[in-house]
Amino acid sequence: MNLSKIFIGAFLVNNILLMRFIGLCSFFGVSTSLDTSVGMSAAVVFVTMLAAWVCWVLWHALLLPLGLEFLRTAVFILVIAGLVQFVEMFLKKYVRGLYSAMGIYLPLITTNCAILAITFLNVDYGFNLLQATIYALGVGGGYSLAIILFAAIRERLEDSPVSPSFRGYPIAFVGASLISLAFLGFANLFGISI
Amino acid sequence: MTSQKPSRLSYLTSGIIKENPVLILMIGLCPTLATTTSARDALGMSAAASFVLIFSNVVVSLVRKFVQPSIRIPIFIIIISTFVTIIDYVLQAYQPSLYRVLGVFVPLIVVNCIILGRAEAFAYSHGVFDSFLDGLGNALGFTLALVILGSLREFFAVGTVFGKTLTPNWYRSAPMLFMIFPPGAFFLIGILKALAVKLKLGK
Amino acid sequence: MVVSLLITCLVAAFALSEVYAVTKPKIDQQKIDATTSALIQVLPAAQTFKEVEKDSLWYGLDAAGAKVGIVVRSGARGYGGPVPLLVALDLTGRISGVKVEDLKETPGLGLKATEDWFAKQFIGLDSTVALKKEGGTIDAISGATITSRAAARGVAQSIRKYSEHLKP
Repeated sequence: MNLSKIFIGAFLVNNILLMRFIGLCSFFGVSTSLDTSVGMSAAVVFVTMLAAWVCWVLWHALLLPLGLEFLRTAVFILVIAGLVQFVEMFLKKYVRGLYSAMGIYLPLITTNCAILAITFLNVDYGFNLLQATIYALGVGGGYSLAIILFAAIRERLEDSPVSPSFRGYPIAFVGASLISLAFLGFANLFGISI
Repeated sequence: MTSQKPSRLSYLTSGIIKENPVLILMIGLCPTLATTTSARDALGMSAAASFVLIFSNVVVSLVRKFVQPSIRIPIFIIIISTFVTIIDYVLQAYQPSLYRVLGVFVPLIVVNCIILGRAEAFAYSHGVFDSFLDGLGNALGFTLALVILGSLREFFAVGTVFGKTLTPNWYRSAPMLFMIFPPGAFFLIGILKALAVKLKLGK
Repeated sequence: MVVSLLITCLVAAFALSEVYAVTKPKIDQQKIDATTSALIQVLPAAQTFKEVEKDSLWYGLDAAGAKVGIVVRSGARGYGGPVPLLVALDLTGRISGVKVEDLKETPGLGLKATEDWFAKQFIGLDSTVALKKEGGTIDAISGATITSRAAARGVAQSIRKYSEHLKP
């Protein structure tokens, strides 16, 4: 499975947010402003890469050989929760500025479906470590692309006349529907199916 | 005179409409949009999530006195992931076709904001029976939202609901396939939410 | 604090290992049943199947144990690969049955029908199978030429690869 296909597939064709619906809670919660979206994306990509590696190693070196596959869900989510905790403590001590800028979004990353999904899919697709890394990068990148695009649109929506029942979430969803439609156009790009 | 303590019944009913997790609070969206390509799949997904929600609410409530606040989140996660793993393997063994449809969304139940949210906001501070009611109410609300969405998407995109054909042939030869794809899901839930706002369902 | 964490982990791990032990045999059986029913679908003439190469080649045997055909799996599995097909060949090397294997249930029901139609074109052909654009007879799925070509090539390759097994 060649690496560029894996990346393009994760980044565009099967965009995690707009095509696979994974990571939506943070998507709608954070995209109200461009700054928080960029910050969230950076944090997500970072934690995703770390989580992807740690979980891949744990799976192949520990869970699988010991026949402990059934502990996968628990172990992976605890790893992610632990990583986020660790990142939070590290930032608080050494990169104060970033820590206060991220604010509440840091702990929110734990429940970001996208990160857990990547750790699971790396195993399900049978990726080796390099493929898993590229896949995680692709998904993280796709997440960032989608959320930043969406934030830009939402900031515009703030100033637009929207009928009362649609203000806030409803019109945001309709907006997301249109971007998703655009991404649907990537289907079967380079032969990658959705 | 208004009563200070919410009634037992309200623990059950608030999760269904007034504080419907999906339509009013807008949480637990990932599985909502992804698994509602048909009414049947929506029902399957909500059943699985409901199982986890109700049981983890009950267990969290049972052990709440023994769990210090500082480690409650990891404990919640362990409890929830245990039930998620249970339903994961049960589905694999006894409902393989549903399992294949739901795919990665079965393990993703563990990060479903609704379940962790109810554990933290309610089960940790309430008795077992009340937590059960709360879990049940939210589960019913979740199921309601998903089945409505699934039925609508299936109806518009294929002309059937739960597999029963409800539209004339001319519709089914050129249906709104848009609804089955991601853009349709986003669009539909935007409309539903606007409707909920218009009907003041959350008040 | 550590104690309650430890106890919770142990109880959870124990509960899960029990559930796993109970469900694993059933799950394994499901997988075998699914494969067997797919094999029977493409090669109904066979009574039993013998797996010759794990997950890629089976012999179809009749009641007397004689070979009636072989079944070959073509197309890459998993992420973004070409259309995975289960192809049954009779002993003359002609394709007698084809099944599209859905490794993920695509939400687009329209897509599924397309794949069935696409797959049916292969029946009756031999290893010279190719897209119309490349001198063969297969119509590509519109908008998915690369995938279609990969599928056709995969089928041709698989047939050639396993042609030696066609001897009775």
